[in-house]
Amino acid sequence: MQLKNKNKIRNIILSIILILIVNGILSFLQVNKSDYYYIISIIQRSLVFAVIACSMNLVIGFTGLFSLGQAGFMAIGAYVTAIFTIPIERRPNVYYINGINDYLANIYIPWPIALILGGLVAALFAFLIGMPVLKLKSDYLAIATLGFAEILRAVIASPMMDRITNGSFGLKNIPGFSNIIELTIISAICILIMILLVNSSYGRDFKAIREDEIAAEAMGINIFKMKQLSFVISSFFAGVGGGMFAMFIRSIDSKTFQVSLTYDILLMVVLGGIGSFTGSILGSFLVTASKELLRFFDEPFLLFGKIEVSLFRPGFRMVIFSILLMVVVLFFRKGIIGGKEFSWDKIINFFIKPNHKKKDEESI
Amino acid sequence: MNNILTLTNMTMQFGGVVAISNLSLKVDDGEIVALIGPNGAGKTTAFNCITGIYTPTDGSIFFKDKPLLRIPTYEITKLGISRTFQNIRLFSSLSVFDNVLIALHLRAKDNPLSATLRFNYKEEKRMREEASILLEKQSLLKYKNEIASSLPYGLQRRLEIARALATSPTLLLLDEPAAGMNPQETKELTEYIFQIRKEYNLSILMIEHHMDLVMDISDRIYVLDFGKMIAHGSPKEIQNNPQVIKAYLGEAE
Repeated sequence: MQLKNKNKIRNIILSIILILIVNGILSFLQVNKSDYYYIISIIQRSLVFAVIACSMNLVIGFTGLFSLGQAGFMAIGAYVTAIFTIPIERRPNVYYINGINDYLANIYIPWPIALILGGLVAALFAFLIGMPVLKLKSDYLAIATLGFAEILRAVIASPMMDRITNGSFGLKNIPGFSNIIELTIISAICILIMILLVNSSYGRDFKAIREDEIAAEAMGINIFKMKQLSFVISSFFAGVGGGMFAMFIRSIDSKTFQVSLTYDILLMVVLGGIGSFTGSILGSFLVTASKELLRFFDEPFLLFGKIEVSLFRPGFRMVIFSILLMVVVLFFRKGIIGGKEFSWDKIINFFIKPNHKKKDEESI
Repeated sequence: MNNILTLTNMTMQFGGVVAISNLSLKVDDGEIVALIGPNGAGKTTAFNCITGIYTPTDGSIFFKDKPLLRIPTYEITKLGISRTFQNIRLFSSLSVFDNVLIALHLRAKDNPLSATLRFNYKEEKRMREEASILLEKQSLLKYKNEIASSLPYGLQRRLEIARALATSPTLLLLDEPAAGMNPQETKELTEYIFQIRKEYNLSILMIEHHMDLVMDISDRIYVLDFGKMIAHGSPKEIQNNPQVIKAYLGEAE
């Protein structure tokens, strides 16, 4: 018991140190913004996608619902955030062709509230389409949710929505985050809430449904209600993540939220490890960073400064990226983390395994 | 003695196939009743009808004077009927402890918000204590952090029963609890079933093929063959019933 408490205190101290280090690095980057612009933008993108990947992991990895509607819910969140946060004086500029809807023209909402609102609207949509769609299983659910996301995209781009979403012209002049720490805090809060949920009694019910629906229902779990709950919460955070994404890229249109975006997120989830938030966060950083860092494959490359290697041309980066993916999937079937979560105990045990394990066994 | 479960003229049809026809059965308070019969006789179908997985085509099911027809499975569990499965259905990649905790959740008072923000910490603590006590009593506590599927077969069966008990049932349905067990394990199981009946004031309805277990343990036995009840009575009566012998061993040429 005493040992346990000791470890707990040690873990808290380690966590605080880690937070301080991260804070230090981020502050350093923030201060020298102009020098590290590229790295900052990679980190920002990764942080946004970490939230969205975690939200997708909540339905796919923890509840076992193969839903592919994430891009759709992101779009809802992104558009809601964008519409309400574009500065009023700039709106005529944005909606320069068709003008803006009279009701929306003068409503301005500060971005933190707009993000939450975007999440809530996405959650509402999830609730409505969840009722019919969550009765479906596995592949059918995937197709239905994918279809929903595409329909939504078509609706956003349709001429009837011109005065709200600016149709196919998209929205621009969306205010961004003033600094990277702000973004880090928001994404940390979102992920923390999801982690708390998954480790609560309701999270256990989600996992039970993933493991065995029939047994879960026989243990008194209202399966449909729980699936609905997980789907709605996941969509809420996808919506918030979508809003953050809009604030990150500053301009959006319906093409931003194509199916390929969902696949990108799915990739992060699978690569990191299905059923692990640590994995999703790691996955989003790895995918985002490697896509950028592999860019030198797109540039002409001279072997020994003379021979030009003909493979190095625009697009080659994605070939390398795909090969890396296949390697990871072949060698790490369960993703890089493999369904486990980050913990100090595991890391410390990993480094001092031989002696520590023996002691543990003796104490039992 | 009070009636716990009453099935009256229950029929279950799948298209043209009659899985169960006109089954009438009752379980009294504190009784252990066995449902036996050759494979495909419709025993598990009867369980699925009672727990609401199937809705019977005809007839009625009453649990303590409450009709069970068209009530969803999870509500039936809340009313106090819990079950185990023929082919073990544990939450196999979760820990032994979590398996029991999940089953305890249906009696907990919390909501998603309070659970996420840990306002329900008292409730959570109570659930954890209860789960520990339950596992202790089933002598599974030392395995509490093991992954359920890594337990040996016999213990998995035991864990499934423990999980069913965690929903605080008054009627326990056991679907072939001794399947795949050797004589020694079967003997222990007999003891175990007696023990939990006493401790949790249970009535038990079970499907079983091990005749020595069935004869030792049951107060009454129902025999099904091709969906029809062909006999019912005390273990002694069943043992000497010519129809039952015919169904199990076939007729002499």
